[in-house]
Amino acid sequence: MCRSVLASICISLATGLARAGDVPPDPARVAALELEVGLAKRPVVYMVLDPQRRILEVKARGVVLDTVPLTGIEIMSQQRLFTHDHPTNPPIPAVWTVAQGPGDTDRELVAPEKLVPAPKADEEDVEPTPPPDATPTPTPTPVPLPAASYRARLTNGWDLWITDRLPPQDRIGSFLAAVRDGWRRLRGLGEDHAPAITLAMTDEDARRIHHLMQSGLAILVAGGM
Amino acid sequence: MSAEAEPLVTAPTPPRHPRWPLAVALALAAVLLVCGGSAAVLARLGRPFLAAPFDATASPGAPEPDPVGLRAHAVAAEKELGKVHPRGVYIVVDGYRNRLHLVENGRVIRSAVCSTGTGMVLKDPRNGKTWVFDTPVGERVVEKKVKHPVWAKPDWAFVEEGLLPPTDPNERFDDASLGDYALYIGDGYIIHGTLFKSLLGRRVTHGCVRLGDEDLEFVYRHVPIGTRVYLY
Repeated sequence: MCRSVLASICISLATGLARAGDVPPDPARVAALELEVGLAKRPVVYMVLDPQRRILEVKARGVVLDTVPLTGIEIMSQQRLFTHDHPTNPPIPAVWTVAQGPGDTDRELVAPEKLVPAPKADEEDVEPTPPPDATPTPTPTPVPLPAASYRARLTNGWDLWITDRLPPQDRIGSFLAAVRDGWRRLRGLGEDHAPAITLAMTDEDARRIHHLMQSGLAILVAGGM
Repeated sequence: MSAEAEPLVTAPTPPRHPRWPLAVALALAAVLLVCGGSAAVLARLGRPFLAAPFDATASPGAPEPDPVGLRAHAVAAEKELGKVHPRGVYIVVDGYRNRLHLVENGRVIRSAVCSTGTGMVLKDPRNGKTWVFDTPVGERVVEKKVKHPVWAKPDWAFVEEGLLPPTDPNERFDDASLGDYALYIGDGYIIHGTLFKSLLGRRVTHGCVRLGDEDLEFVYRHVPIGTRVYLY
């Protein structure tokens, strides 16, 4: 009797364990995998945003090229104080595509005023080109540091806001921000922004991905990838 | 009998309260009232950014999953993803940090300091034509490898110097600037050497990837034609 009870307990335990190993895959994860396959088949760099793990990965062909840890993920929208009319979350898993980003627009222009004929070869002989070792290092045009806080417009109507500093959310901070914004609006300088999925990261990381935020960049958003 | 003068009894003078503290208090209250009121009006007018948590869970509304079908889909997707993974040797170029990594079977076998594109735009004053000096982003392939490469300078190389591009093609050839080796990755982009070693690690190029002599030779010898290059 005792043996049969023990055996039945063992069998039910074994069955339970077998079932646990047989857990069907999470539908969201499978959908995300299929979306990633679609991206990885193209010769492009894409990003994977995992809100659960709070990371943004730069990938190509399924290979992680770089990882950016996030310090926060929020939905930011401009609201009057004491209102709770927040936009609904965009559905995930999904692929967001950048319609226009700072990588498209933040450019420095170099434009000579006029062009003069190049010196002829025999003119150059008067001042022969020094050997490579003696070539003086040219002074490069300084490349401006990319911004650490910027927005990219997504094709789904949302903005993606990359920032190293989230706006204050405590009562006093929000009140002061409201006063500042009100003062700007009073002077006709107020700005209205689309609701934004906001990714907070260090300033260095924000600058690092600045040039990637250009039109056509695909961002797969899926939890627990 | 002498008449004694009665002491003069005077009524006690009430203490005089200065009025200025009251005035100051009233003024302060008025200022506070005006400031507070203005702030309240401005705050009501303003629309600050307010945060709501991003819901990281999957959206509802998906049909009830069929476990067998799901498993098949998952296996197929994993297999497809495995197929597109690069194999053998490949190159990764980090355009922000200016680093080139040579990867073999998932392991970095060489990391080198490089120089990449400035991202600037050059405009030709004659016709308004523009060139963007970006190192491309995405996947490319090593199409050609050349020892002792000669550079046929394109128009922008002259325009940038304020010079008219020459009409004689022979005046465009430069056999020093590209170094000892060149790996062509398409659309005129090249992984090559440089005369200006001190600028390695900075964004100074017109889109090409510059390497130091030793790193360039190592990459040239280890990378066959057809190798994939990932630039980001």
